[in-house]
Amino acid sequence: METQENTTQQELSGNNMIEMIKVSRSYPPDIHALSDISFHVETGEMFFLIGRSGAGKTTLLKLICNMEMPSNGLIEVAGYNINNLKGKDLALLRQRIGVAYQDFKLLNDRTVAENIAIAMEVSYKKPRAIKQRVRDLLDQLQLSSKHDLLTGELSRGEQQRVALARSVANSPRLILVDEPTGNLDSTTTEKVMDLLTRSNKAGATVVIATHDASIYQNSNNRILELREGMLHSLIRGNEI
Amino acid sequence: MNFWFAVIRQTGRNLRQTWSSQFMTFLTVSLSVLIFAFFSLIYTNMLGAGDRLTDDLSLIVYLQEEPGLAMKEQLRRKILAFDEVEELRFVSRTEAYERFAKQLGKDSDVLLDMPTDFLPASIEIVPLRSLRGYSQIKLFSEYLSSLPGTEKVQYGQEWIERFYHFVRLLTIVVVLSGTLLILTATFMVAYTIRLTILGRQDELELLKLVGATTSYIQTPFLIEGILQGLLGSIIGLLALYGLFQWISTRFTGPGILNFFQFDFFSPFILIAIVVASISLCALGSYTSIRKFLLI
Ligand SMILES: Nc1ncnc2c1ncn2[C@@H]1O[C@H](COP(=O)(O)OP(=O)(O)O)[C@@H](O)[C@H]1O
Ligand SMILES: [Mg+2]
Repeated sequence: METQENTTQQELSGNNMIEMIKVSRSYPPDIHALSDISFHVETGEMFFLIGRSGAGKTTLLKLICNMEMPSNGLIEVAGYNINNLKGKDLALLRQRIGVAYQDFKLLNDRTVAENIAIAMEVSYKKPRAIKQRVRDLLDQLQLSSKHDLLTGELSRGEQQRVALARSVANSPRLILVDEPTGNLDSTTTEKVMDLLTRSNKAGATVVIATHDASIYQNSNNRILELREGMLHSLIRGNEI
Repeated sequence: MNFWFAVIRQTGRNLRQTWSSQFMTFLTVSLSVLIFAFFSLIYTNMLGAGDRLTDDLSLIVYLQEEPGLAMKEQLRRKILAFDEVEELRFVSRTEAYERFAKQLGKDSDVLLDMPTDFLPASIEIVPLRSLRGYSQIKLFSEYLSSLPGTEKVQYGQEWIERFYHFVRLLTIVVVLSGTLLILTATFMVAYTIRLTILGRQDELELLKLVGATTSYIQTPFLIEGILQGLLGSIIGLLALYGLFQWISTRFTGPGILNFFQFDFFSPFILIAIVVASISLCALGSYTSIRKFLLI
């Protein structure tokens, strides 16, 4: 029923997972975090969002997952005007969007496994399936030994990977990742990108905000560069 | 099915994390129920005793003169004009004398020197059962004393009056203590849930972000409130029952308690108390979580 609705909605808006039209976001008193941004992300695409610190990447991701409202403009996700969604509809859409926040938003008094499980528990996945999925993810991110540690006891690099694991755990249709490799060495960065690529191959649309050139340089993916809240360029990785 | 599994798991987490304040709330609820039910129990028993007290109530109208036939007929008509009565009997001076002598039994020789008409004639009236409220009896007696030729009306005024004063006082105590205790208990439950919510704000925020529905977030808190209400009232009532048993075994035998014939609550009242307690506690937790979800 619900998936049926989704496909019809998607058909209506063509092939785009995200559609932004003239979106602005300002903060009092006079900070223009984003001005007049228009672009789209196709369903199944892996999309990069780059720009210096303070350029507006995090703000843009927060708008997409409805953590914040735009001051102006229209945002559609999976065909829904996300700012008109409320209550159960918003909750159901959020279950299908996985977000790895820049500040992680982990529960530091819970174990690594519990933190990852939360994303699956809210959509009533079976405990056995959750356990299995958590083990798989920790394995892929080389965190198996941390399964029962409290996330508060982990290093920042480890916390970052736990946040990432939580964002992909529920196999969402859309994955938003904010600076996923900020605290990681190159081998671990590779593991993280592997995991995201695999999710993308499995059908998820992935949006990655980063200033780490190594992860987008040689790809064929589209890259949107923000400068001081404005869209500076929208190119493919191998065109740099 | 899966929803309830998730909700119960979440409730378990809540209880484990905040068990000490949960326990305090549980104590408050059971104490409130205990105190309130204690006063109510005394109150309902008093009302029962009041009914029994007025069961064998009769009014005696003392007359100035021995009434003649016509006078009797007139009095009877006037009394019946006020209300139907269960029984109405004229007692002549001689009858009164003979009754008194009989009551004295072997001491009746003290009456030998007295004239047989030294007691006044009277009318004994047993009012209808429907007329047995205290204020109605009072009205009736005022009416009777206004009849011609009556000297005085008697029905054990003082005793009944004092009893009804006591019942009125008890009503106030029950209503006041009830209101206070209900407010305290509801407030305590709301307060504990708010503490839980404040202590777990990060988690609740995150739950919203990962797409937990309102009922997923809210139901565990509601269950917590319901559990508080259920366990609190059951323990409170059990404590009261223990107290009741203790008092009844202590004070058996002839005495004032026998006259009152102390009864415990009927099953219906017991269930009503439990249900009321559950509803109030659920209401307390509901308002708290509602406030949070609106932010
Ligand atoms: N809640 C906020 N209140 C005020 N200013 C904000 C807030 N969030 C972000 N900003 C400002 O908006 C701009 C963009 O921030 P952000 O999106 O975090 O940049 P990036 O993620 O690219 O480093 C910055 O100048 C930042 O100071
Ligand atoms: Mg940022």
